[in-house]
This record gives sequence, structure tokens and C-alpha cells, in this order.
Amino acid sequence: METLEQQIKELIIDVLMLEDVTPADIESRAALFVDGLGLDSIDALELAMALEERYGVKIGDDPEQNQEIFASVHNLAAFVTENRV
Amino acid sequence: MQRFKPLSRLLIDPPPAERVVAFRRNGEVDAADLLSDVAMLSARLRATASGRFLLITDDSYAAAVGLLALSGSGGIAVLPPNRQSETLRDLAADAVGVLRDGSVEANGGALGGLPAIDLLGGTASDPVAFGELDRDAPLIEFRTSGTTGDGRPVVKALRHLEDEVVALEARFGAALPRDAKIFATASHQHIYGLLFRVLWPLASGRPFQAETLLHQQELLPRIAAADCAGLVTTPVHLKRLAASGGLRLLHGICAAVYSSGGPLDVETAESVGDQLGVAPYEIFGSTETGGVAARRRDIDGEIWRPLPQVAIRRRDPDGRLEVESPFVSAGDDLGGGRMRARMSDRIDSLPGSGFLLLGRVDRTVKIAEKRLSLPEMERLLCEHDYVAEAALLVLEVAGRRRVHAVVVPTEAGRACCEAESRRGFGVRLAEHLGRYFDPVMLPRAWRFVDALPRDSQDKLPVKSLAGLFADRTGSGRPRLPRVISEQRSVDALERQLEIPDDLAQLEGHFDAFPVVAGVVQLAWALDAAADWLGQRPVLAGLEALKFPMPLRPGRSLTLRVERSGRGPNLRFRLHDGEFVYAVGRAVLVEPEPEPEPECNPGRA
Repeated sequence: METLEQQIKELIIDVLMLEDVTPADIESRAALFVDGLGLDSIDALELAMALEERYGVKIGDDPEQNQEIFASVHNLAAFVTENRV
Repeated sequence: MQRFKPLSRLLIDPPPAERVVAFRRNGEVDAADLLSDVAMLSARLRATASGRFLLITDDSYAAAVGLLALSGSGGIAVLPPNRQSETLRDLAADAVGVLRDGSVEANGGALGGLPAIDLLGGTASDPVAFGELDRDAPLIEFRTSGTTGDGRPVVKALRHLEDEVVALEARFGAALPRDAKIFATASHQHIYGLLFRVLWPLASGRPFQAETLLHQQELLPRIAAADCAGLVTTPVHLKRLAASGGLRLLHGICAAVYSSGGPLDVETAESVGDQLGVAPYEIFGSTETGGVAARRRDIDGEIWRPLPQVAIRRRDPDGRLEVESPFVSAGDDLGGGRMRARMSDRIDSLPGSGFLLLGRVDRTVKIAEKRLSLPEMERLLCEHDYVAEAALLVLEVAGRRRVHAVVVPTEAGRACCEAESRRGFGVRLAEHLGRYFDPVMLPRAWRFVDALPRDSQDKLPVKSLAGLFADRTGSGRPRLPRVISEQRSVDALERQLEIPDDLAQLEGHFDAFPVVAGVVQLAWALDAAADWLGQRPVLAGLEALKFPMPLRPGRSLTLRVERSGRGPNLRFRLHDGEFVYAVGRAVLVEPEPEPEPECNPGRA
């Protein structure tokens, strides 16, 4: 789990080309969108594609569920662990 | 009985009661439900003060009910361009109430305690006697991002919408069967979505989807389950749909795809055509003018064809597009319900009324289909105590267009930047802008400089601004060091640089001991000189060139380029205060002066 969270942090930084952010700056349980890291809806689409490509997970269309999945790195890692192929 | 109903007569000459008007994930709404929902809402509206109501819902059917009820009771619907708290607070100031439903989270604070009415939450009322709706009374107010500063209201009467819906049926109706179900990823909060996914289907008797399905895993199978469909979408969504290859599922089902809100790239248009067997219709228009023209690349190529009832002309001297139609709602009144407006787009007009779009004349840009006035954002940025001057531009990074900011901090800003971190400083400024703008519009990367890179005529060339972000805009691994800050004068340019660990040129330069080759450092110095001088220096020779220390990635450095004695020659030096990594003199061929394009990131 530790390493997967680390991998996802690196993926977020790479895919979204975040500047001045290192994996250590992203807290696993901190909010990713708006209030926390400040990601937005374009980032969400981009990140979903990258996760699907990298881990073979399918991200559905239930807004409430997705809000839950994308809430933090911790939640993303948990989702990937459960759903990866 | 004719199936197409003008919107103003929809309530007095309704479709058969059992005709499906709209559908949701679970369930359908028929014409009888529509009449009863409009009656219930009308009864509640008549019991409250008349005036402007914010219409806030994600459900397109609820939006249709709200508009019809407001029209019948003399109210005006204000459609917020986004849901940011400052936007809502501004709009709430002169509204009498809010029409909303369960599809939207409450944001009570920003609405200043305005009375809220649930769009679909009424109880059965006494029958309401509907009349013909007033075509000429103001009905909808959109807010756009103006070209000169503040967002301004654009007011439309029912006739603007009704007449455009008639034109849409005339132009596109024949290719879209009567029983096609209309799916959409475009929001009804903007005029394109409102017309294409709500009002046109409503008038033409085609059922429309009330929810917006943004994820293709759900959208595609749902469309595939229909016998026949139309899809109202935007370039961002269509690009993703096309890239997935999933549109093949809809071959023979999806009879027409519409795209508007920004330019659709050729590859996407062609890929959609290949997968569906029918190329997408691209629609060009604006909030002020309504629909102007359309094209299908497989039929029209690059040429835009005006919609029915629309006349266009090229206005010299700047070649702007002038539009005349019954849908224009802001411009010169020509009588007979027609207006004329000048757009900020430059065109070439062609024989037979077609035209080519050449680009915008101002600095209004589109980010994810949302219009953004860069001068307005610059003005708001400069209101912050930490910002002395700011310049914004749009650059494409990893395939997405994003705003980038170059800021000259004030003394206080500089102190904050040192006390916190560069990122912390950028986040503070983004939070300030976030009170006014949708998150997707906020600057994605920041450069803090001592002065904006103006040229000798005091203009701000886009090239110089873009040069500060050159490390981000290439594809693949970065080829350039990142510019942290820069100071420029007529005599010298000094830049603080950071060498990325994954620099592309490290490839092959010793896995065990990565170093940046001398020729690469030399190229960086010449790139910086090109940004500084406004044109690429032409090298006649190099003198006194030395690379005293191997340069390792991950370091922070200073690059200084300065004039060397007489003539055009340059001296450059790459150092970190402790060591010098490169030093030399570039002997240049005397340059030819070249005119600079002015700052116009709208075309970037």
C-alpha cells in the first residue's frame, strides 16, 4: 500500500505536470481537488485516463462514488488495490 | 397534427399527453408531466415577487420547466456561468429568488438568503390556464466574460430562442430522425447547450436526456441502447470519445453529433466520421449572437456556412465578422426583429456566403469551452497586494490548453515568496483568483520575474512570455531547464535555472554519471539570447569557449548573457556562485530587424 500510494503521487505529478510539488508534499489523506492540491475537472479526466491505462482499472460514472475515489491518494490507492487486473 | 411546436405555443398546443419529452437513468417524463410540473411551478411563482431568478440545476428537464414557468409568469431566468461563490454572490445581489432542485448542492452562503423554490418539488395545484407565451419580454440572462473587463449580462427574449430553434430544425432536422433521443455532454447553463439539448428537442418533439453523462463508460452504452440518437457535445468531450474508439458502438444509431464551444481539431472530426459513418456538425456562435454558422468537414472542409436567417459580412479594416440575424440579442437594432453585431473573430469571406475563421482580434480565450478574458484576470490578479504586474498567456501543455502566469511581485509578495515557497506563493494567488473563476481557468504554472519581458517598443511579445515556460511546452521529457526567475536590461539577461533530473539530453550521457553536454549548455545560452533579443542570433563563431566543470542534473544555476563590447557579440556564463560550468563569447552575424507580433495570447 505504501508503495502504491507513492506511485500514485508520482503519477499525479507527472501526468498533470505539477510544478514545485514532490511526492512528499502530497499527504496521502489530504484532499486532491480544489481545497487541497487544487486539481480541477480537466485534471480529473486526465488522471482517470492515466489510472485506467496504468492499472487497468475502470472508473465508472457515479459522481458520488467518484468523489469518494478521487478524494485523496489514500482512496485512489485503495480503489486501485481492489479493482486492478 | 404538426409535430414541431413553436416554444411560445407549447403550453397551449401541447404534444399528446403520453409523448415522451425527456428521460433519465430511471424513468421518463411525458408531455402530461411537463404541463403539470410547469403548472405547479407557475402557481408558486405567481405567489412570489416577480423579477430575476437564478436558475441553478444540473437537470435539463428541470431547467426547461423553470424557463417555461418563468416565461408564463413574467420572470427572468439568470443562468450563472459557473458556481463559484463570488459569481453567485454578484448575481444574487439583484435577484428576487433562486430556482433549484436536488441535482445541485446547496451553496446557501453565497446566495445571501434568497428565497429558494424547488423546480420540481411542488404539490398538485389547481389547473393553471396557460396562455401563449410572450415572445418579446426578456426571459433569460446569460453572463459572459467581456472582452474589455467585467463580465456583462446578455439578455434574450423568448423570440431569440424560438426563432433560432426554427432555424436549427430547418438546417439540421432532415438529418435527425423525429424519434432520435438527444444525449448531451454540453451543459444547458450556456446558450449552445440550452438550445441544442433542451429547447430544440422540446419544440421538435424529440426526447432529451435530463442528466449529463460525462463518462463514456456510461454514456456510450446508453446511447447504444437507443434505436436512434443525436449527441450534443463539446470539443473536449468529443476528443476523448473519439480517442477511445468507442463511438464505433454507435455506428448506425447516432445519426448526428454536434460540437460547439471551441475549435474541434481535424483529427477528431475525421476520427468521429470514421467511427460513426457521419462526421460531426461543428457549430460556431456566441452568447450575444446565438448560432452563426455550421460546417461538416466531410462536406464543407474548412468553410463555415451561415445558419438559415443569418447574414454575414467581413468588416474592413480589421476583417472582423459582422452578423445579422433574428437571434442576435446585443447590437444595432435593424427593425423587424433583426439585429446586427460585430464579433471579435476575423474572417475571410468566400463567394456564396461561406467564410473562413482566421482567429480572434482580442485576448479572450477558451479553456475547456469556457470563455476567459485574459485582461480581466490580469486586472484581478493585480488587485492582490503581492502583485505589482502580471501577464497571462495560454499554452498547450500535455495536449491541454492552460493559463500560465508571469508575475512581478511587490515587495510584500517577494517577502511572502521567500518566507513560504514558490509553490505556496502561487497557491495563494490561485486562491485569490479562485474566488472569481472556474478552477480550470486558474493559472497552471507561475513565473516570478523582476520585470515583464517587454521589448524596446514597450510591447510584451508572446514569444518572450512563452520562453519562460519553454521547459513545459515540448512533448516528452523536458529539453530545457526551468526558468525560476529572470532579470533583463538593455545590456544583460540573467536567469535563474533549474536543471530537471529527467532532462531529455541526458540520454546516452553516462547512466552512471549523468552530465549535461557542453553543446547543450551552449544551446541554452543561445535560446535565452533569442528570447532576450527577440530573434535568434546567427552565429558566426565562438571564442574563448570553456566548460570548466561537468554539469550535473538537479542543480540550480544562473545563466547570464550580456553584450560584449562593440557590435552584436554576446558573452555568456553559466555558474552557481561556486563553480563556473560554461563560459564563452558568441560572435554574431549582424541581425536583420524583424517585426514582433504583439502580445495576443488568444492566438497562441
